[in-house]
Amino acid sequence: MAQDDISFTDLIASSIHDMKNSLNVQISELEKISDQCKKVGDLQAYEDLGGVIYQANRMNSNLIQLLSLYKLDKAIYPVDIAECSIAELIGDVLLQNRSVMDFKKIELSMDCSDDCVWYVDRDLVAGVLLNALNNAYQYTQDKIRVTAQIKDGWLELRIEDNGKGYPPFMLRDEAAAAAKGVSFLTGSTGLGFYFSSQVARMHKNGDRQGMLIIENGGAYGGGCFVVRLP
Amino acid sequence: MSVSLTKARTLVVDDFQGMRTILRDIVRAMGVTHVDTAANGREALNLLRGSRYDVVICDFNLGPGLNGQQVLDEARLHDYIGVSTIWVMVTAEKTAEMVMGAAEVKPDEYLLKPINQSILESRLERLIVKKQALRGIEEAIKAKDYAAAIDRCDQLLHADAAKHPEILRIKSDLQLKVGDYDGAKALFESILAARSVPWARTGLGKVYFHKGEYDNARNTFQQVLDENRMFIEASDWLAKTFEALGERGRAQQVLLDAVKLSPNSASRQKVLGETAHKNGDLGVAQAAFERTIKISEFSSNKNPTAYVALAKVLSESDAPDEALKVLTRTKGVFKDSTDVAIQAAAVESAVYRKTGQQDLSDAAMAQAEQLLASQPGKLSQDTAIEVAQAMLALGRKDQAFGLMRDLVKNHHEDTQLSNKVEELFEQAQMGAEGRSLIAESREEVIQINNQGVMLAKQGQFAEGARLLRTALQNLPGSEVVMMNLCGLLIGQMRAEGKSDALMTEVMELLERVRELNPMNDKARQYMSALHPSGGRGPG
Repeated sequence: MAQDDISFTDLIASSIHDMKNSLNVQISELEKISDQCKKVGDLQAYEDLGGVIYQANRMNSNLIQLLSLYKLDKAIYPVDIAECSIAELIGDVLLQNRSVMDFKKIELSMDCSDDCVWYVDRDLVAGVLLNALNNAYQYTQDKIRVTAQIKDGWLELRIEDNGKGYPPFMLRDEAAAAAKGVSFLTGSTGLGFYFSSQVARMHKNGDRQGMLIIENGGAYGGGCFVVRLP
Repeated sequence: MSVSLTKARTLVVDDFQGMRTILRDIVRAMGVTHVDTAANGREALNLLRGSRYDVVICDFNLGPGLNGQQVLDEARLHDYIGVSTIWVMVTAEKTAEMVMGAAEVKPDEYLLKPINQSILESRLERLIVKKQALRGIEEAIKAKDYAAAIDRCDQLLHADAAKHPEILRIKSDLQLKVGDYDGAKALFESILAARSVPWARTGLGKVYFHKGEYDNARNTFQQVLDENRMFIEASDWLAKTFEALGERGRAQQVLLDAVKLSPNSASRQKVLGETAHKNGDLGVAQAAFERTIKISEFSSNKNPTAYVALAKVLSESDAPDEALKVLTRTKGVFKDSTDVAIQAAAVESAVYRKTGQQDLSDAAMAQAEQLLASQPGKLSQDTAIEVAQAMLALGRKDQAFGLMRDLVKNHHEDTQLSNKVEELFEQAQMGAEGRSLIAESREEVIQINNQGVMLAKQGQFAEGARLLRTALQNLPGSEVVMMNLCGLLIGQMRAEGKSDALMTEVMELLERVRELNPMNDKARQYMSALHPSGGRGPG
């Protein structure tokens, strides 16, 4: 029977694709409504919508990650590791999130020199940053900063916040998982970490491979989400 | 918001009403006053034909009909957009075509949904700056003045300490185009020393290929694909390399894999069809040619070769009715081309012959010949080979040989063509005769050219020119003879002083060469040399 020929994962993937399209229209409309609220001075509605838009963005980001992982798994994701202006990449991701950050009055800053060019898959790394920002948004008090720097042949991307930082068990498990070379699909935020570490590892140069590190400290003493790419 | 952006005439193309409105509103909110919208490729092309747009924001997926890339191809083909037009392709997801379509014309930027105002605005601002920086290069490329384009790249690279990789990439493409393989190789190797970048390694493979180092080329393309199998351009080149190495079965396999990843390239499907056809894999060939035709269905840049080849495959698959149907369709689609009509008639003759309908076969061939007589000297290579094949099938060996002799002489340096001609004779079980025909024809032209060059060396320019003029009467399509004659005439003027008559003759020759092959570099160099003050000569 024809129905038996349909693979369940393919079905999920095409459904995700469809959901993503609907969600995009929804987000655009919500942003339009929230702009109008701001214009007419309905600040309560404007703020409420901020939370709704954040959740919708989070969902969108998750769907993109799922879809990318599906394609990476099937080896049909068009990985394109090419020269990329990192300042532009970060700038774009911040722009996408600026309004959401404004709702929660989070101070968002960036530190990356204009001539910082590195070899990355632009869209996948943007997905990683987006996920890290969404995460930081949830746990920060009021500050997030994104920095990028090239050091000893590695690009280091850091997303730091001034929240309480990662709980000790996560830092431990992260180290263990990295040692075993497998991911840590634990807890509710497993998807984002799994996706990010997969993306980091896909970036290779010679025998060096990208990595994901989470730590506490940084400029604000909160959580630090660090991606190092060779 | 820069002033140039608010004044930009902008076109939004999306088949989805909701998305179209969103995009239009975003653009308007950016302060752009002139925004038009189109719901499909045809509408978009009508608008593009009507007025010049500065910015086009086009969804890749436009439902039935043309897709975004095809709209871009058409717009560029018909010159509806200039080098300064910014074309942003919007897509819901990243595809292999985006990463490495073999597309000649690429959009300035791909934008993944969701799109909001700030993203679109910042991208457009950035593209305006970039476009301005690269404008000199793009204009020189459009005018096919590659030397000037390379100069411009070098200027930018000198000015920019960071040596922006994009300019290096453009420069290396140009170096390959003008045949500066050593220069290109050095550039690719300097990049590869730091990192295995797929475009640079693919470029290195191309250098090996052009130098005839096929083993190196194969290993290099293979390495690109091992490291990054989405880099489809390397697949196309790997297949080409296998073909050159005579490993056609492996070429077919590489193309089959590539087509799975990126099924929408008409040219790749056509190459797959041709390769499978040669391998006798008629099923694969048929599917690939059908796909080629289907992809270009709504394009004005259709390739008749795929139609004719499909008819031949069908005839070989014992489906003569289908083959004839395709030929009728071919004549309809290309009704303005006598060349295609000749090919179609020749193949029709072969189809009828195979079914034993000798009268009909003869009639079709007579028609081909009648058309042929109306087009002296203007036959395309493919048509000449097609007609010769039909003639051989009808046992008209002398005619076929005469036709092929002329063809080879007119293009005696074109090894691809000689291979095709050799294959034709091979198929007709006249391999040995074919090979000697090719060798003799080439030798004859080489002799004449050598004599001309010899006379030039001895300072007997007028004598040499006379010889080549006579040769050219029999070889009206030979670029090499024309260029050598030009060289002699220029030499003659240097020795004896300028003459209007000789100058006119040179310019006419160069114009003929340019018509035959706009890429002929030597012709370009002569043109520039003859117009030292007037810049680059006609582009």
